[in-house]
Amino acid sequence: MASPGQPSGIEPAADTAVALGGFGRYAGPATLILSSLAEAPKHGYALTKDIEAFAGVRLAPGTLYEALTRLERQGLIEAIESDDRRRPYRLTALGISALRAHLDMQRRVTDVGLRRLAGIEGVA
Amino acid sequence: MIPPVDRAQRRAARLLRWYPKAWRRRYGEEFSALLVAEFAERPSSWRRTADVACSGLLARLTNTGLTGGALEPAAQIQASLATLCAAVAVFLAFALAIWSQLTIGWQWSRPDTAPTALAMVAMSALMLLFVSLALLAALPVAWGVVLRVRRGQAARLWVPSLLLLLGGVALAVGARHFAQHGWPGTGGHPWAGRGVVSGAVGSFTWAATLSISAYWAHPNVLLSFPAAEVAWMAASPIAMICVVAGATQIVRRLDLSPRLLRYESRLGSTAAAAMIAFLAAACLWIIDGGGGPRSLFQTGAIDVGGLVVMALAFAVAHRAMRLARGAQPLLAPPR
Repeated sequence: MASPGQPSGIEPAADTAVALGGFGRYAGPATLILSSLAEAPKHGYALTKDIEAFAGVRLAPGTLYEALTRLERQGLIEAIESDDRRRPYRLTALGISALRAHLDMQRRVTDVGLRRLAGIEGVA
Repeated sequence: MIPPVDRAQRRAARLLRWYPKAWRRRYGEEFSALLVAEFAERPSSWRRTADVACSGLLARLTNTGLTGGALEPAAQIQASLATLCAAVAVFLAFALAIWSQLTIGWQWSRPDTAPTALAMVAMSALMLLFVSLALLAALPVAWGVVLRVRRGQAARLWVPSLLLLLGGVALAVGARHFAQHGWPGTGGHPWAGRGVVSGAVGSFTWAATLSISAYWAHPNVLLSFPAAEVAWMAASPIAMICVVAGATQIVRRLDLSPRLLRYESRLGSTAAAAMIAFLAAACLWIIDGGGGPRSLFQTGAIDVGGLVVMALAFAVAHRAMRLARGAQPLLAPPR
């Protein structure tokens, strides 16, 4: 598994996909958070609103921060120093690789599902 | 009248109490800010309250190694092993309480049913296994503590080591005393050679676990016991808690190498398997109903209650072991 201490230059794609899978029931929130942060750094409330806007899902505060805590511990995101009480987060290089690997894997699953659905609908 | 912003901040502060102190220190301020913004948008939501409570409890569990994917692999294994240690200790306390009563019974007479005799032999063999596993697990950890002391790096280990030592000595001295001067019909008799284990071992473990007793539900009977024994029944759990707290804190605070973590995990898996076997043997005895001769092996509500606690301790140990094993492949390879 990729870890914060992993030397730079190592391609973590395959392993980090597993890392997100290892988030269990937080894999969904983690993907949403990473996707939101791929646009720009955001604090908790901005993340909630952005995710609600692009995914139609409102992450409850406890779930959001449970996922943020895990993502930060795994080195996939990092907090930015701020004078505001609301601390923004941004993606790390490892987080970018992890998100890409995870979304690629999801796209493969989506492609297979859509192809098979098209087959059924074609027969019907 | 309290301004709405202050009220929201107080509500946020109340919800924050679900989380452990370390978490609050790191995320408390920003999480409160998020909650205040949420309250402004949706003043009341029981789902949100439940979500915060669940996440707070999960954050507390993370430090015990009972949630996966939240810690570094080595930290996860170490936290899981510490929790496993505590779960096995609770299991063993209740297992010893049951087993010692039965072994003392066998000093008087052999059980008159084959299932109870079989259960007793199996439980005795498993106790031997538990002792061997405990020694094998403790020795390298104790050696690690000694090395740290010699290097002058044991500042964080003094308190848990002292707790472990004091609790262990108090438990050993008290159990030895009450095993020799116990109340009539049990301790103090030189029964060696008539049961599956020596009478000295049986009465020592019986005295050590005297606090696990149905007499707590019968205060009138309890008052008729000598005051020193009642005091021991009340004090010995504190000594046990000191031993367990000291041992788990040492496991958590000592830097264990990946190799040692793997070794301890293997012992932990064996201990978990032994726990299942012990539970099965205890169930066999309870289903058989124990009985005679002279009701020496009779089962009671305290035994069924003990079995339930042991099953819960096993569930915790199993969860801890599963997470420790899951994190093992992610450890640095052995040199």
